Amino acid sequence: MRISHAFIERNSIVLLVLALLTVTIGGIVEIVPLFTIETTVEHVNGVRPYSPLELRGRDIYIREGCYLCHSQQIRTLRDEVARYGHYSLAAESMYDHPFQWGSKRIGPDLARVGGKYSDAWMYAHLEHPRRLVPESLMPNYAFLATTPLERRDLLARMRTNIDVGVPYTKPDLVQAEADLRAQDDPGADHAALEQRYHGAHVVPGNGHPTELDALVAYLQMLGTMVHFSNVTTEQVQQ
Amino acid sequence: MAEAALAHHRVDYNDDVVKKFIIASVFWAIAAFLVGVYIASELAWPRLNVAPYLNFGRLRPVHTSAAIFAFGGSALIGTSFHVVQRTCRARLWGGDALANFVFWGYQMFIVLAATSYLMGFSKSREYAEPEWHLDLLLVLVWVCYLLIYMGTLMKRVEPHIYVANWFYLSFIITIAMLVLVNNFGIPISPYSAKSYSWFSGVQDALVQWWYGHNAVGFFLTAGFLGMMYYFIPKAANRPIYSYRLSIVHFWALIFIYIWAGPHHLLWTALPDWTQTLGEAFSIMLWMPSWGGMINGLMTLSGAWDKLRTDPGLRFSVTAVGFYGMSTFEGPAMSIRDVNALVHYSDWVIGHVHSGALGWVAYITFGAMYYLVPNLWGRQGLYSVRLAAWHYWLSTLGIVFYISSMWVAGLMEGLMWRAYDHFGFLKYAFVQVVVAEHPFMVIRMLGGVMFLLGALMMVYNFWMTVHSETTEAPRADMIPAGALAAAGE
Amino acid sequence: MGFETGDIVVGLMVAALGLLGLFLAAGAWDGEMYLFGLVLAGFAVVFDFGLLRRHYDRVDAARGGADHG
Repeated sequence: MRISHAFIERNSIVLLVLALLTVTIGGIVEIVPLFTIETTVEHVNGVRPYSPLELRGRDIYIREGCYLCHSQQIRTLRDEVARYGHYSLAAESMYDHPFQWGSKRIGPDLARVGGKYSDAWMYAHLEHPRRLVPESLMPNYAFLATTPLERRDLLARMRTNIDVGVPYTKPDLVQAEADLRAQDDPGADHAALEQRYHGAHVVPGNGHPTELDALVAYLQMLGTMVHFSNVTTEQVQQ
Repeated sequence: MAEAALAHHRVDYNDDVVKKFIIASVFWAIAAFLVGVYIASELAWPRLNVAPYLNFGRLRPVHTSAAIFAFGGSALIGTSFHVVQRTCRARLWGGDALANFVFWGYQMFIVLAATSYLMGFSKSREYAEPEWHLDLLLVLVWVCYLLIYMGTLMKRVEPHIYVANWFYLSFIITIAMLVLVNNFGIPISPYSAKSYSWFSGVQDALVQWWYGHNAVGFFLTAGFLGMMYYFIPKAANRPIYSYRLSIVHFWALIFIYIWAGPHHLLWTALPDWTQTLGEAFSIMLWMPSWGGMINGLMTLSGAWDKLRTDPGLRFSVTAVGFYGMSTFEGPAMSIRDVNALVHYSDWVIGHVHSGALGWVAYITFGAMYYLVPNLWGRQGLYSVRLAAWHYWLSTLGIVFYISSMWVAGLMEGLMWRAYDHFGFLKYAFVQVVVAEHPFMVIRMLGGVMFLLGALMMVYNFWMTVHSETTEAPRADMIPAGALAAAGE
Repeated sequence: MGFETGDIVVGLMVAALGLLGLFLAAGAWDGEMYLFGLVLAGFAVVFDFGLLRRHYDRVDAARGGADHG
């Protein structure tokens, strides 16, 4: 049976099937190789899963829609690298479920904001941005400072991350609550936290984190995992 | 002969569900424009951010979902139900109960999505923000929608499937594919609204923008082209310009659109080969898009004078003009070196709104100005003059909106990359924010004009439905009941 | 007078949705899931009531006018 267009127009099932087949092609060609080509995610060292406090902070970043004003993706453009630091590698967001690259800069890019500002600045700015930067368009997030961090679902969140491919280990889960509280307490012993989550930034809390503590812990490690002085060109070629 | 048999075929169409969707669409249009004006105002006067519920970060998805899914989606489903019945000469398959479930289920989804964003539940995927439980509800409603649509096509009396239905059908089935794949994720518990995405990092980025661009391509383009292919010939009382062009541009459009996703990720950590594919296909996409524009515009051949007297048709034809403009602008912005300047800037927002206001909203207004008197059995619109006022005020609003965003976007891009004569970056980020302020205000005013125009339309529709008096009746306007009796 | 097939299928489907909603609301971990469950349950009640009302309206119309009582 010859497939002329008149045939397609008189047969709704054929129209449906052909249309569906047509629209699957582009997605398959563009998306599948990103999983099969090994170097899509560059082989660099340093990238690790988020610590419990950072993970919760990230969830708050997502909840408040921070990605709508802030990108987390430094492009391979000279002026961008001059302003924000080394361009972003795919590896740096490999554990981001979902990715937070953003699509609009109403505020500056945050891919390497970790360590750029002091904790004191971070807290003050998040609570009342326009007291520090009068021309800013950023809303107030003071309510985060007075909201205790929900902890009952912490393990469920980490287990779900394991389900989607993040390599948390059994000790990570067992110690999750302890790690969370240690990262919020400058006076606590951080050896175990540091061993499990290298470079985790301890925030000036009291061991009972607020939502703001979690958000700052997350922001202060953004872009700090990969040490670019050690990275070679071969490693970053996709 | 078959023609005579068709002419005597009386059909009792389900107009009730179409009317429901039209009313819903008009209601959500006002809601979407109102929230849009509010968030635009927040970007001019940040004190309007009343934490936590009215903060921009929680409110913006309310605006985008209301505009795309509530306003646009209700218009699409409603008009698709109208068009498929009329072009198949068959009542909707599945009975009233299924049609009403699609209507009320969809409205419930909309309301739940909006409240969920305010309460702080979002997947942070643009135009796919609703969390997993709402996604599943949407899938259920959408399956029922597809069943009704296919069922009606399969029970058609007219043997040939009219072109508008190719576009509506491809919209329905492609959105199903896109939504199912992009929203893959695992909830932390069946009793929690929070979930994590299946994909991560760079792969997640491409899956999201494969979805995001094709939400535009199939929800906001293919679906509304279906609307165009029915309501422009109907209002102009002319046949579509070229059947062959319809075929070519339909298949080319639905094939090429899918590949364009990477143009949202140029210069990022997405591999170069993927970026190049996306850029190339985005540029190629210009052609089938303009094929649609040509087909729509040239349908007016021999009927251009109708633009002076029919404000609904004026909206539809202007929509096709904006469609042509946006589908040239998009490919231009997909060129790597142009994109380097405009990505992350307000030009992207300008581009979105020239498409959303100029194409999507206008083709919908055109369809509604035709449908409302028709479905409610009126002789014509309550006030043609008011519809003309709507047109001119809204169009001025669109011009304010997009030109302010072009200027702001170019300015941002240029200031971000400006160097001083020592070789250092010239402007701090906040200096760019300050420079944008007047354009944020102008954009907001453009939105206010657009909203006011829409309110005029609501008043006009209300009076059309409820008033005994109408303006000069259109010669070719026949009440819906008489059409069915005449065996349309 | 029998029910239309569409009415029965949709009515049962919506009823199941409502029942699911009650279970979700009962075990909800957050306000959003609680609201979702209650809205589903409320929707099911109103929608199925609407189906019944339309059915009996059709029965009455077929009988040629409403009987009182």
